[in-house]
Amino acid sequence: MSRYALTVAILAMLVLALAILSLAAGPAGIGVLQGLSDMLQGRETIAATIIGQIRLPRVILALLVGGTLGLSGAALQGLVRNPLADPGVLGISGCGALGAVLVFYTGVSAVWAPALPLAALSGAGLATLLLLALTRGGTLVLVLAGAALGSMSAALLALTLNLVPSPYASYEIMHWLMGSLSRASLHDVLIALPGLLVGSAFLLGTGRSLDALTLGEDVAHTMGFSLRAVQWRVVIGTALAVGSGVAVAGGIGFVGLVMPHLLRPLVGARPSRLLLPSALGGAALLLAADLFVRLPVSGTELQLGVVTSLIGTPVFFWQVWRLRGRPV
Amino acid sequence: MILQTDTLSLTLQGNRLLHDITLDVRPGEVLGLIGPNGAGKSTFLRVMAGLLRPETGRVLLDGQDLFSMPPEQRGRHLAYLPQDAPAAIGMSVRDVIALGRLPHRRTATAEQDAAAVQQALEVVGMSAFADRSCVSLSGGERARVLLARALAVEAPVLLADEPVAALDPAQALTVMELFNRYAAQGQAVAVILHDLALAARFCTRIAVLSEGALVSIGAPSDVLTDALFSEVYGVAVRRCGEVVVPWSLVSRNRVL
Repeated sequence: MSRYALTVAILAMLVLALAILSLAAGPAGIGVLQGLSDMLQGRETIAATIIGQIRLPRVILALLVGGTLGLSGAALQGLVRNPLADPGVLGISGCGALGAVLVFYTGVSAVWAPALPLAALSGAGLATLLLLALTRGGTLVLVLAGAALGSMSAALLALTLNLVPSPYASYEIMHWLMGSLSRASLHDVLIALPGLLVGSAFLLGTGRSLDALTLGEDVAHTMGFSLRAVQWRVVIGTALAVGSGVAVAGGIGFVGLVMPHLLRPLVGARPSRLLLPSALGGAALLLAADLFVRLPVSGTELQLGVVTSLIGTPVFFWQVWRLRGRPV
Repeated sequence: MILQTDTLSLTLQGNRLLHDITLDVRPGEVLGLIGPNGAGKSTFLRVMAGLLRPETGRVLLDGQDLFSMPPEQRGRHLAYLPQDAPAAIGMSVRDVIALGRLPHRRTATAEQDAAAVQQALEVVGMSAFADRSCVSLSGGERARVLLARALAVEAPVLLADEPVAALDPAQALTVMELFNRYAAQGQAVAVILHDLALAARFCTRIAVLSEGALVSIGAPSDVLTDALFSEVYGVAVRRCGEVVVPWSLVSRNRVL
């Protein structure tokens, strides 16, 4: 078994184990298997309701949102050939969250539910396009543009929520900026699922093009790969996947930065080899982080993004440390 | 396969970069492209590689227009080695060379791919480094890896932009001999060179570009005349046997 296959197999088992653990964990002591079988047979027991309405949506979203974040991080890093690329760091998630907040609090999404993911993916897509236009400026320009987008979207998001007459404004700001799955419902799953799946399919299909791009745009072109085509695939894939995720879970940061970094020593630096492992790793990371925030350590539940940022920022520092002294 | 350019011209942002170039790169030959800095050699090579679309004129690969060929097919027929490659590739030597097999992803078997990669590793003398990361290589070693990547395509046409610029004399000779062997197998090679002694020794024919136009093409001994050095490069030369040494400037104004 090759190292790649072994890594994928281990990560897949880890995701499965964490998903089962996540289904079983909770204040109500119910049997997971009993709940699942009740749910599938349509029996309306308490166990079925808790599994079907509360825990399963949360597990599915943690798995898919984490997976797509890891995947889009790996694809973005391959496309811009920069290890600092990540939907959160570059402000893509923030712009997606801003789009979601705008339609959510103006009431548009209450009238027409798909408006929520559509607005979020528009925000994420616009941000990705803008960043791509700036990639030619090199690492420094990309990261600065990302920081600017992130700050701008955070400020506009907070402003929007402050203008909404809501007693929970500051809590809402936290939810959208840091991300959380505590309110995940079956409705959220249905809203986000199409974008998460289609976006992932787009991103998973970019592997060979990203491999070719490591030799530079010219050589990739002479080998029959069009830079424009792969750029569009990544932009559309990231917008769909990150946008849909943000629409239901808020802007969870650093998953896409951390996973490729952790997995490169195991599977090598070929971008195509990083896509699937990063997706699985992202799913595992978010499932684990979501389990962690549910631990009864304090009175209230931690925001999911707080945990991923605590894990991610040291990795970010480490990457910046490695890039020091290199011309930007 | 024969690569032909037919009255090829290119103007970018008001600058006439290439003007009416008609030539062919024939199977079995190493065609040297020489000329002063800014003569348009790299631009011409990029047009022949399908990277720049000419304003007028055509590029033909075995009679078929290069720019209307399916990209994947073009990728199998033509390998391009640029002058500067991306600064740091975190992949292993073998993985980088294996990228040369991407154009064959729908046509070759895994065994064919592995054999081509292994052969490319061997001909550039990097077998012992196969599993090393490219980041840890010297400039010359990295240049050889990127050359091996281009060789692994096993394309009938190879276009190389100053492939020996970063190499010491021994490595430069090795690479030029490699091109000769490649051509001897029936492949067509076009290579930009600044070292005129290497061009004279290893090229079947030499094409001289100056200010975007083809001023001379033919066997090295016919092309590399004293008059050419004086007119195109603005230098007077001395000859020691077969070796030509640029000796003095004909007119300072030309260069400065």
